[in-house]
Amino acid sequence: MGYNKVTPELIEKFKEIAPGRVFTGADINEDYTHDEMPIYGKYDPDVVIEVASKEEISAVMKLCNENLIPVSARGAGTGLAGGCPPVAGGVTLVTTRMNKILSYDLANFTVTVQPGVLLNTLAEDAAKQGLLYPPDPGEKFATLGGNVSTNAGGMRAVKYGTTRRYVRSMEVCLANGDIIRLGANVAKTSSGYSLLNLVIGSEGTLAIITELTLELIPQPKETVSLIVPFEDIDACIGAVPKIFMAGLKPQALEFMESEIVYMAEKYLERDVFPHVVDGVEAKAYLLTTFDGDSMDALDPIIEKASEVVFEEGAIDVLVADTPDLRAKAWSARNAFYEAICAATTELDECDVVVPIDKIPELLKYVNSLEDEVGIKIRSFGHAGDGNVHVYVLREDLPREEFLEKAEIALGKMYDKANELGGLVSGEHGIGHSKFDYLKKSLGEDSIDLMYGIKKVFDPNLILNPGKVCYKL
Amino acid sequence: MEILVCVKQVPDDSVEITLDKSTGMPALDKVAVITNAFDGYALEMATRFKEAHGGNITVVSVGPEKARDTLRNCCSVGANAAYLVNDAACENSDTYGTAYALSKAVAKIEAEKGVKFDIIFCGKETTDYTSSQVGPMLAEIMDIPQVTNIIALDPAEGGLSVKQETEEGYNMVDVATPCVVTVTKPSYDPRYPTMKSKMAARKVQIPDITAADMGADASLMGEAGAKCKVVKVFEPAKKEAGVKIKEETVEETVAKAVAMMSDAKVF
Repeated sequence: MGYNKVTPELIEKFKEIAPGRVFTGADINEDYTHDEMPIYGKYDPDVVIEVASKEEISAVMKLCNENLIPVSARGAGTGLAGGCPPVAGGVTLVTTRMNKILSYDLANFTVTVQPGVLLNTLAEDAAKQGLLYPPDPGEKFATLGGNVSTNAGGMRAVKYGTTRRYVRSMEVCLANGDIIRLGANVAKTSSGYSLLNLVIGSEGTLAIITELTLELIPQPKETVSLIVPFEDIDACIGAVPKIFMAGLKPQALEFMESEIVYMAEKYLERDVFPHVVDGVEAKAYLLTTFDGDSMDALDPIIEKASEVVFEEGAIDVLVADTPDLRAKAWSARNAFYEAICAATTELDECDVVVPIDKIPELLKYVNSLEDEVGIKIRSFGHAGDGNVHVYVLREDLPREEFLEKAEIALGKMYDKANELGGLVSGEHGIGHSKFDYLKKSLGEDSIDLMYGIKKVFDPNLILNPGKVCYKL
Repeated sequence: MEILVCVKQVPDDSVEITLDKSTGMPALDKVAVITNAFDGYALEMATRFKEAHGGNITVVSVGPEKARDTLRNCCSVGANAAYLVNDAACENSDTYGTAYALSKAVAKIEAEKGVKFDIIFCGKETTDYTSSQVGPMLAEIMDIPQVTNIIALDPAEGGLSVKQETEEGYNMVDVATPCVVTVTKPSYDPRYPTMKSKMAARKVQIPDITAADMGADASLMGEAGAKCKVVKVFEPAKKEAGVKIKEETVEETVAKAVAMMSDAKVF
């Protein structure tokens, strides 16, 4: 696709659209050249526009479509798959100034927001009204527009599902600058193809989100977290499907090995989990949360969960049933990514998802790769929904050797996930970094269909080029 | 050793608390309650002491019925017994009233159990009113020694060897028992209760103690006996963001700071 360069005349027009918020050359913040995975490369936009309204987005899109200028939308830039970096240059549209919570519809349990509202901001605001926005990705300072664009998941996806389930409707700006509404504030629909669901998870390749109406639920009255240490890693992973088979519905269920817990504790400079319980050294832990309307309702549930894990070989079951203990229990888990980053010079990652009962096999395989490939691997993840985050760490390896080994290890992981009936990404997305793996996993036909859809939405291929379903 | 740990149930201090405009008091209806953090450290320190040197731990709280949950939680992380000083006469006590009630409760529990407490642990302060007065006042009323702001203790001849945190470092203090110690944050956190310990704690009987039971003079407690009156509760003024001054050199930075202060007529 031959794109045009951004001309000084166009820049002047952009400045008329967004006065004082158009940046070029040395005035472009370096952060706008990458997301949180700089290993996938840094790409310079020709111009950055910090948009403040949908009208501005529409006007910019119209100009770019007419002039064949690529446009990549960007929220807080917390992505992990190279979704927002402008690989074809052109315009980067930054949405973080569009950060207003517009209105609540308490009769329909919805909230309407601009795309640049941060997840944390909505979570806190909704909580004040006794409401919960269930999606709970680890990165709380991502924008909601970004979360919707990647169909972000998070800890609570086990019980409540991912972002997709909570998007009732959205307003989007199409490639030609037209603004349309997708979906409606209704609880069900059988009204033709779901364009809404096409745009969710499309990583800015089909349209630019300008407004979101999201579903909320009443805040669960009580939550209890359980920390379950195991002496045996396989027994710990093996307990995961058993919890579901017992009819239990945890809000969150995370698996973690002791090494990564220690890494997080070192990063946090505090001990979070007991390392030795009843004289036995814990090698792995499950961290799970149950919610309910009252402690009386929760008691039999956590007792049942305890029975299940004890049968599977848990050393003990520790109970975090007060706000301070719950916060402490989750502090290590919430710091895993930062702790891993702090412990290595460079890293690569994958977030494959497999059927829940295949989690033990996948993790066992991932652990075996450390010796097989000769590279340090750390994994953790949402055991409860089959989504595992695996990180390969460079540490002191020469860069070339690291890149080579990382590619081998990641390739093997994706192959294994495929073999187990899984998919390339559970929640981080494809961006420009995972396309080859996606193509291998889904096959030509599916990729061709995706590309066809892309062309219908964006005939000039100006929206976030080279992402998700094709390479530049 | 026989150990008593004094605990208070307080609002969760990890959430923002606002004032109820109609009452002028903090709006606590929707705020969860937790064990005062420093009391949690005190109980953990006491439990570690018990595990190393033997003994029994009793916890006591002056508070409403709801505080029974906090005492039960304490029983799941080391306490062997618990008492709740639960009397309308104690409501809205100031620190002296609370310390007086605790002193009377100590005598009542000692008589009932037929023991004498060797160490009385308190948190160094509560996270709601942060006065740091109850522990020291309790020691004064009971006329026994006290060491404040401790982070460790070991048995020593005739009493205890205590590590007291100061602004400059530490003091090692030998103190005779019985004594009061107030605990600041040690190098560890309170333990998690286990499923088994939670179930066991559910079965613990937590007797009520009334003002009459402990022979307390009701006029020294509660709002009537308070030596300290709350005139007004107000939210602190929000601090405006400061100005960061960073020039090429230290000299330029200082010169700019001085010039800015001069412009603002600071001097």
